[in-house]
Amino acid sequence: MRVLDDDMRSDIDGIVAKYPNARSAALPLLFLVQSVEGYVSEDGMKDVADILGLTSAQVLATASFYTMLKKRPQGEYLISVCRNITCTHLGARKVLDTLEDRLGVAAGDTTDDGRFSLEAAECLATCEGAPSLQINYEDFYRVTPEDAIALVDKLAAGDSVLSVRGDTVKTAKEIAREIAVAGMRTPEAGVEQGRTVGGESPRADTAPGTRPKVEGEKQDA
Amino acid sequence: MPDASNGGPGETHVVLRRARTHPSDSWTLERVLEDGGYETAKSVIANMSPEDTVELVKESGLRGRGGAGFPTGVKWSFIPKDVFPRYVVVNHDEGEPGTFKDREIAERDPHQMLEGIAIAAWACQANKAFIYCRGEFSLGSRRLDRAIAEAYERGFLGTGIFGSDFDLDIILHRGAGAYICGEESALLDSLEGYRGQPRLRPPFPAIKGLYGQPTVINNTETLSTLPALLANGADWFKQWGTEKSPGTKVFSVSGHINKPGNYEIPLGTSLADLLALGGGMRAGAELKAIIPGGASAPLLTSTDVAMDFEALKDAGTMLGSGAVVFMDESTCMVRNALVTTEFFEHESCGKCTPCREGTWWAVKVLERIEHGLGRDEDMDLLLDIADGIDGRSFCPLGDAAAWALRSNVKLFREEFEQHVVDGRCPFDHEGTELVGAGRGVGLGAAGVSPQPSAGIDVDRESDDVDGSSG
Repeated sequence: MRVLDDDMRSDIDGIVAKYPNARSAALPLLFLVQSVEGYVSEDGMKDVADILGLTSAQVLATASFYTMLKKRPQGEYLISVCRNITCTHLGARKVLDTLEDRLGVAAGDTTDDGRFSLEAAECLATCEGAPSLQINYEDFYRVTPEDAIALVDKLAAGDSVLSVRGDTVKTAKEIAREIAVAGMRTPEAGVEQGRTVGGESPRADTAPGTRPKVEGEKQDA
Repeated sequence: MPDASNGGPGETHVVLRRARTHPSDSWTLERVLEDGGYETAKSVIANMSPEDTVELVKESGLRGRGGAGFPTGVKWSFIPKDVFPRYVVVNHDEGEPGTFKDREIAERDPHQMLEGIAIAAWACQANKAFIYCRGEFSLGSRRLDRAIAEAYERGFLGTGIFGSDFDLDIILHRGAGAYICGEESALLDSLEGYRGQPRLRPPFPAIKGLYGQPTVINNTETLSTLPALLANGADWFKQWGTEKSPGTKVFSVSGHINKPGNYEIPLGTSLADLLALGGGMRAGAELKAIIPGGASAPLLTSTDVAMDFEALKDAGTMLGSGAVVFMDESTCMVRNALVTTEFFEHESCGKCTPCREGTWWAVKVLERIEHGLGRDEDMDLLLDIADGIDGRSFCPLGDAAAWALRSNVKLFREEFEQHVVDGRCPFDHEGTELVGAGRGVGLGAAGVSPQPSAGIDVDRESDDVDGSSG
């Protein structure tokens, strides 16, 4: 079965065309597979190998190195709780424990209904908002255990959730496609892909007690 | 273009000038053009030779802001003559624990970064530049992507930029989650579509880098410094900082303090002043330990030190990426060592045995100490493991793991010993299970069981964090 089929030809060509050497397209093409399959499937890796003139083993060797390329089916929403120094010293482990209880899975696993995956992440470069987490790579700052549960409840109810920077949390497949085609210079890709909805990314000192934005927050177009 | 802005007491904004003076729209092309953006790159390409551009940056003494502190102009001058094509690669794979400056610099001022890339590309006569953007940086990538598209539309990128006969393409590339790709030779392998593992050097990237061609790899903050530096000159830049560490630097300040954030200050400013900028320690908290330059940097216990490359080296640590983490008396240093070492264990690429195995064993030993099953000989064992890693692996990741581990054990040995003697962690950590999170290495595998624990107040609303240290 083909994952990167002819319907995706313009994406595939656009990604490969970015680079002087086709193999550089391996990571974005693997993200493209993830945008279809929800993870980097064997079929998808075979397609990437065919496109780049590599063996499946070579593609697997690359894919297996990177934590954002998932080797197993993932949930619609990936919650990544920072487990690093500043976040741990400010209570991140309690947030992670609370999410494990709420979701009924251990970090590294996915809920049976396929809605949520949970992971402990290394430093997300958001220490100013510790303890912090990401949902499908959008940032949330100063997350209390109660905040974390509220976020899950919102997503579980199908509600839209805004990050601390004002960006809407996308689904895992949507964000994988965004990453795959980042920097692709097709006529519409440039401005469309670069479209920024985020307004302020609040500085901690000007926005004390900044909370994850859950609903009804201002969203600049 | 305007020079620096005084960002309030103690801060001097060069890189963060536009971001701080126009916080609501510093990333938009409209604001950037109104603010004189791209005029410096245009003028440099029109009026300065590449050689003069390199010379000016050399003269300024600008040192790389990614961690190693290598002089930027000198790095550029290693590019061999007459070998083309060359490449500029931007290391925007920020991941050193505690560091969050490059993320904010790119989010808030992507056009300044692109202008800096154009200047570097001109100096090195490279017609292609790649931005290796950390995979997890969503907003920064969106803003860079949009800024690049806008720059193409305006003729600031593409064929004959700014009306010159110099061509420049900038290609945005996303990483996929691997700290080691911030190491420049690993970054190149990753950008070429391989596992991100460091290369043996020599040859250095300046000679054989991306696709085997001469390549200059610069950090986001370094490149974002160039527009103001080229606009105002080397002497202007050297008015700040010390003789060997000139200029300003953005420090990411976090931990048990009141106002975490990025602060740009002249190099050589005292750590005490930086703590004051960060609002001081949170209420009632006593300073216990400081990470002065990212997780790789050995700890300090006093703020009586100048924040520049030389002074921190003399103090037995390093400036690194400029990430400063302040820890108060509530911090368990065994736990700190464990979290730090777990990070290096997780991010070790696996290429070199001392790093791959040493960090793994150190985590095991730290786990048993933290969980009350430590042995009298464990502290010496940890130091022995650190010695077995330090200087024995390919890239600095192993060294960094060793330095961090060693400094935690040496500076706080009594605390480690107390864990062993008491048979438990003397600190209270409610619901903060440490072992094996997310990696399938649970308590069973580690062969230890958790200690009973009581609560620690982590409510951010409360100023009344008692800092109880057991």
